[in-house]
Amino acid sequence: MGDQRDIVLIGSDAGGTMTDMLVVDKAGEFIVGKASTTPRDQSIGFANSMIDAAEYWGMDWQKEAKNYLPGIAGIIYSGTSMLNTLLTRTGKKIGIILTKGFEDSLIHERGIGVHASYGYQDKIHPVSHIHNEPFVPKKLIRGVTERISMFGEAVVPLYQGEVREAVADLLDRGVEGIAVLFLWSYLNPQHEMMAAAIAREIMKERSQEVPLYLSCEIVPITRENSRLNALVLQAYGAEPAREQLFGIERMLHQDGYKHPLQVALADGGIANIRYPALFKACFSGPVGGILGAKYLSQEMDMPNLLCTDMGGTSFDLGLIMGGECSILREIELARTVLNIPTLVMDSIGAGCGMYLSIDPESKRVDIGPDSAGADPGPVCYMMGNETPTVMDCVLILGILNPDYYLGGKVEVDWDAAYKAIKEKCADPLGIDPYDFAEGVLDLINVRMREHIGTVLSVRGYSPADYYVIGYGGAGPTFLAGYTAGLPFKGVFTVPWAAAFSAFGCAAADYLHRYQKSTLVALPPGSDDGMKQFMAMTVSASWAELEEIAAREMEEEGFKREEISFKQVAYVRYSQQLEDVEVISPLPRLVTAQDMDKLIEAFEETYSRKYVHAAMFPEVGYQIFEIGLLATVSRPKPLLRKYPLEGKTPPGEAEKGTRQVYFGGEWRKANLYEMDLLRSGNEVEGLAVIEAPSTTMFVPLGKKVIVDEYKRCWLKEV
Amino acid sequence: MSKISYSKEVIRDLIEGKLPWSQTKSIISGYKDEDRFDKYVEVLQEKVAWQEKILLPLTHELYIVQKGSDRIVKCSCGQEFGDYRVNWKLNALIHVRESEEEVKELYPYPSAPDAEFCEIREFYCPGCGTQLWVETVPFGYPLVFDFLPDLDTFYAEWLKRPLPSQKEFTDLTCDFIAQNWAE
Ligand SMILES: [Zn+2]
Repeated sequence: MGDQRDIVLIGSDAGGTMTDMLVVDKAGEFIVGKASTTPRDQSIGFANSMIDAAEYWGMDWQKEAKNYLPGIAGIIYSGTSMLNTLLTRTGKKIGIILTKGFEDSLIHERGIGVHASYGYQDKIHPVSHIHNEPFVPKKLIRGVTERISMFGEAVVPLYQGEVREAVADLLDRGVEGIAVLFLWSYLNPQHEMMAAAIAREIMKERSQEVPLYLSCEIVPITRENSRLNALVLQAYGAEPAREQLFGIERMLHQDGYKHPLQVALADGGIANIRYPALFKACFSGPVGGILGAKYLSQEMDMPNLLCTDMGGTSFDLGLIMGGECSILREIELARTVLNIPTLVMDSIGAGCGMYLSIDPESKRVDIGPDSAGADPGPVCYMMGNETPTVMDCVLILGILNPDYYLGGKVEVDWDAAYKAIKEKCADPLGIDPYDFAEGVLDLINVRMREHIGTVLSVRGYSPADYYVIGYGGAGPTFLAGYTAGLPFKGVFTVPWAAAFSAFGCAAADYLHRYQKSTLVALPPGSDDGMKQFMAMTVSASWAELEEIAAREMEEEGFKREEISFKQVAYVRYSQQLEDVEVISPLPRLVTAQDMDKLIEAFEETYSRKYVHAAMFPEVGYQIFEIGLLATVSRPKPLLRKYPLEGKTPPGEAEKGTRQVYFGGEWRKANLYEMDLLRSGNEVEGLAVIEAPSTTMFVPLGKKVIVDEYKRCWLKEV
Repeated sequence: MSKISYSKEVIRDLIEGKLPWSQTKSIISGYKDEDRFDKYVEVLQEKVAWQEKILLPLTHELYIVQKGSDRIVKCSCGQEFGDYRVNWKLNALIHVRESEEEVKELYPYPSAPDAEFCEIREFYCPGCGTQLWVETVPFGYPLVFDFLPDLDTFYAEWLKRPLPSQKEFTDLTCDFIAQNWAE
């Protein structure tokens, strides 16, 4: 029997390669677990990762799970099984009924689809572009005559006979589900509803039943192409993923867990795994980190926080302003553009697993764009890859401990890494392998630093207004490098940085986001009558969404009075392409003055997002989309404060010294165990602070100060 | 610096479209192999029965070859189309589809080109009957001369081995028409 702990929350993030686990106890202490992701049955990876985590508290989870699970208040999972379903093309056999004339939409796809996910060089070389094979073949797509206009009027009636034929034919072909999408159905769902009724009738006649997916219910928002992709994702990929999630939930319930399993959504919300629009969970891992940072931002009074996440393949930035993060309404995933509201992230290819090569013409060092991932991994993994990666450089420079990689659970081969770097890169350039490796780190740091500079400066922000948090497996290792020279308010990481996305899932709100398209226009000089009419249009849509939200959340087991709503409108200056998400100052707009208040809130957000001089009230305003945030409070990890102790780390935290190549020469670096550092301790560079799942590098001239929350602040000496 | 080079087998599979897309993509996206052109031409040369040296492939079946001191266009079957600076289409068999019925034989609605406005010209080899090329142009538009390469510059400056006898780099199509078909 291990320590007696009151485990209250578990957050889990199943990435493409590793499943991270963050376990939180009542006192606010965390442990981190890791295990390989098991795509076929994700409950195995989940269980292994949990076993790994529990070991740090001396628990044998397999035996003791029953003692803890009944008392746990929440388990949140974010996984990649949906993405995996798309990548391996193993989804359901789906039929689609579309407005006649649009049957080839999936084949034509968005132009961006031919080069989505490519690196920059491939993007600009059309010879490498290729169309994607649609997830639904043409023979399972039927067009029927009908037309709803852009004002929501039925200008061509629905030809019901064609619907009958289409449904019967698709059923004959053995489809496992039928998706229906008619143009502009989010303004008038009448035709989709009629088609659904006909389909149900036919299924009844045939005593055969398959699920129906209506776009007016699942994705009732503008942008027809990405809307279709999202609907297909729900029908094709989300249901197999739901089966996986039920598998994990069953396993937990067997051992006494009392609540439904929850998933993180791309828009930053959390939902029960029975949530109808489950497709929104297909991209939750990467946003987990931003959610975690948002929580720290709110709890620790850092309203402006720049999130930096460095993993194996990419370097992702997220911005938290005034404690909130912004939303993007389309994302690119598995080479398709999907209508999924997602927390804004700016990513570049800069990861620890990236391949290194030398351009034979220019002798320039190229980093990426491809990455070795976890399989085959860097050269030092000895799993068949012979092309050096960034991580191999970190290893030979002495920054990584070859005997303590992932807590000593993964064996790495220093000699193999050195040999590959020497032969493939350093010798051809005629330079020393260590100088080469240090040069690579400089190069990738410059790339990330420039990315940070760009992301802030294009928005008109100054680093001086921001704190920076570094996380992800490689974040703490490169943090000092990629923030060097930028005048941030403060730069820090946390001991659980390597499972920060899992932490974010545990710290997120139970939140659903609803969107609805609308047509609201306020031309310049609109009178009060006009404003009032538009105010009521907006309010009616909010009321409609609140109704849907309350119904859905009641089905998920909440009482109506537990739900709190935030009303949102997407406002733009007339004819501008971009709109701004505005949280309404009032729950309902009733009078012309109420409408003015919403516009004021818009202009305030707009001038903060762009600049004051960009405001353009002379043209009037438009609202094409409104939204609703429905939240229920849920338990969150307690952020524990520790008493401050002396500057000198305790003896048990010291792990001796190692030679590290820095600034062109070998130097002695002090080694520490991160988990054993105490609040108040200071560690001066050159130093390496090791944790089982990550390594923090402290260069010469820098020091780390551990504060009362155990944040590790990186400061100048 | 080690030079990048793929085996002749890989280049042969690339030409024949037998490589999986992932491999084709990595060749396209990778650094250029320095000996690609020579291996490419070698593979092509092995596929034809005649001996004239291929200077440059033009289409799937047509090549510009060195014949004595001339450079001519030649089909893989052996049929010759004359000087490479004359549009080879003048010496091909041409089938024109100009009515809606003829167009519809090939293209279902709605993919068909508009037969009121343009015609489809199909070019066939008089030697083997292979379809060599297809073009869709407005009525009366001259035969398109798709590609007149500057061979001397290519060999001298890119491959660094000039061809034995220089030819003036100019389009001789009109001269050919004047000599053969003018009154
Ligand atoms: Zn021929």
